[in-house]
Amino acid sequence: MPDLQRILHVEDDPSIQAVAKIALEAVGGFQVLSCSSGQDALDQLQGFAPDFILLDVMMPNMDGPQTLARIARLIDINHVPVVFMTAKVQPAEIAHYRSLGARDVIIKPFDPMQLAAQVRKIWSQVHE
Amino acid sequence: MSKGDTAANTLQQHLQQLSDAFALRLQEELPALGQSAERLLQTADPQEQVQQLQSLRDQLHKLAGTAGTFGFSSLGQRARELELDADQWLHTLQQEQQGLQAFSHSLQLLAKQEFQSDPKQMPAPQKAPLTKPMQSTRRIYILEDQLAIGENMRQTLNNFGYQAEHFSRIAELDAALQQQLPDALIVDVNLPDESLTGLQYAAGLQERLAEPLPLLVITTQNDFATHLEAVRVGAMGFFTKPVDIPQLENRLERCFSQQQGEPYRVLVIDDDRELASRFSLILRGANMRVEMLYEPAEIFARMRDFNPEVILLDVNMPDCTGPELAQIIRMNDEWLRVPIIYLSAETDINRQMSALIKAGDDFVTKPISDNALVAAVFSRAQRARLLSNALSRDSLTGLLKHADIKEQAAVELERALRSGKPASVGMLDIDFFKKVNDNYGHAAGDNVIRALANLLRQRLRRIDSLGRYGGEEFLVVLPDCTAEQAWGVLDEIRQRFAELTFIASGSEFSVTLSAGVASTADTSNSASELLEKADQALYAAKHGGRNQVR
Repeated sequence: MPDLQRILHVEDDPSIQAVAKIALEAVGGFQVLSCSSGQDALDQLQGFAPDFILLDVMMPNMDGPQTLARIARLIDINHVPVVFMTAKVQPAEIAHYRSLGARDVIIKPFDPMQLAAQVRKIWSQVHE
Repeated sequence: MSKGDTAANTLQQHLQQLSDAFALRLQEELPALGQSAERLLQTADPQEQVQQLQSLRDQLHKLAGTAGTFGFSSLGQRARELELDADQWLHTLQQEQQGLQAFSHSLQLLAKQEFQSDPKQMPAPQKAPLTKPMQSTRRIYILEDQLAIGENMRQTLNNFGYQAEHFSRIAELDAALQQQLPDALIVDVNLPDESLTGLQYAAGLQERLAEPLPLLVITTQNDFATHLEAVRVGAMGFFTKPVDIPQLENRLERCFSQQQGEPYRVLVIDDDRELASRFSLILRGANMRVEMLYEPAEIFARMRDFNPEVILLDVNMPDCTGPELAQIIRMNDEWLRVPIIYLSAETDINRQMSALIKAGDDFVTKPISDNALVAAVFSRAQRARLLSNALSRDSLTGLLKHADIKEQAAVELERALRSGKPASVGMLDIDFFKKVNDNYGHAAGDNVIRALANLLRQRLRRIDSLGRYGGEEFLVVLPDCTAEQAWGVLDEIRQRFAELTFIASGSEFSVTLSAGVASTADTSNSASELLEKADQALYAAKHGGRNQVR
């Protein structure tokens, strides 16, 4: 299984951005780049070359699904899994996000101490 | 204390700090949320109410997502419940408003129809059955702050058969967009009275839409930076003022024809019915028309009736192998242009090659992923259609070429004789076309020809055939149409064509046309006699003073 190192986190809420960054860096030992908007993420995408992308669903201007669609044009999302983070939990919505190309969905609110483990679990499923 | 414990403690401290910061944030956000809730009750304007409620729902959604992460789980849960409530209220309000809007819209349509009927009564009797049904009319929105330019563009596009609407302010356009999305949007870049440029506005709009709108840009700034900005917001055309509207219309036409092609026709030949159904299901999912054939012996009838653009052919069939069937298909000259793709579990490259050498164009190996199958068929179909169009269509206008439109006239004459319903043909010729070329150059001349081609496409029905008969001469074949009806519709086209304004080397000019009509009711001996009659009528129109239909 390839090593998981760089995670791109896209989230417009600064508090959530900060807590996820700390949780993923301190607990998971990952290198995290936080972006505040879909456009920001697209600008940084190729320079940062992430192994894994965490994407908030509800963001102003370009939302998660729109961002995902544009990301998919730039990189191969089969190799760089994109995972949505959202407070919506209906199974139909999760199925919908998967159909858009998202690898999985992490439900908000998340437990900061568990986030890294959740990410690792998805990563190992991708590379089974 | 071990090193791991220290790290964990530092982390806990960090998290605690973030949680404290969040608590501070709540002290501001929660009262603000309360105030928004109060405002909601004071708002009388229903549209504003919806907007406020949407914003409240989104804020609650965020809160539901964040609060729990920082340890405020009961707040998070309550926010979640209220978010669902907000969602329901929003749904109710929107439904009410949609109902009201639909009502208002029908009323507005009624008002407009009344308004438009006066000028239409004057010309052209009997043209009603020949105009396209309302729903096929393309709706175009124009954002242009200069009233004269915008109105001129609106009128000209309406002459071409579009339903164009002009807006001088962003707010007006926004209101119209709420009601209904157009098929394309034309935006002026310079809007001195607005806080945004046309491009900035368009960029914001495109992001709000699920699918981008075809966008054309008009501007006085003909520099690279503006071009680039236009491309980035998804513009499909760029025009400098003064805008040559027929040219702009030509670009619109191209946008639409790219967007809405007929589905590709694919024939799947496989003796394994289950597999054939599976393939056809996948291809139908990609918006192609698929028919299946299990019996190779039926190939001739099926080729003739279905006229496929691509054939997917199983290699191993019991009675007749794929390569054998492919060779049979290739014996017929008419079907040479149809690409044949073999389907096979065969991975032996030598055997694949020997099959390809006999006949056939490509090989896909079973099992194949859905996407790979669609891509293989799509690319072949696209290329086949482009080639077929290039061979039979005129490159300037996209209309049928001389031989093909003549052939069409013969086909419709026969059909008319069989069905007893008359068909008509119209021969059109642009008046003094040489002068256009001499005075304004050949590019301007080409523009005039394209404009007439587009006008014909817009105004005639789908079942009508259009061809470029000669340099500036056009032939239209109108099935199920009497001479009077044909006269009506061509005369309307004549008037609209005369109203078009062309621009070349800085000056404006207009052009007229003459036309002659002939019907199978008068002449039913042969197609060439029918065309001869139409030509004579055209000659009479020219001698009668041009700019008329005989």
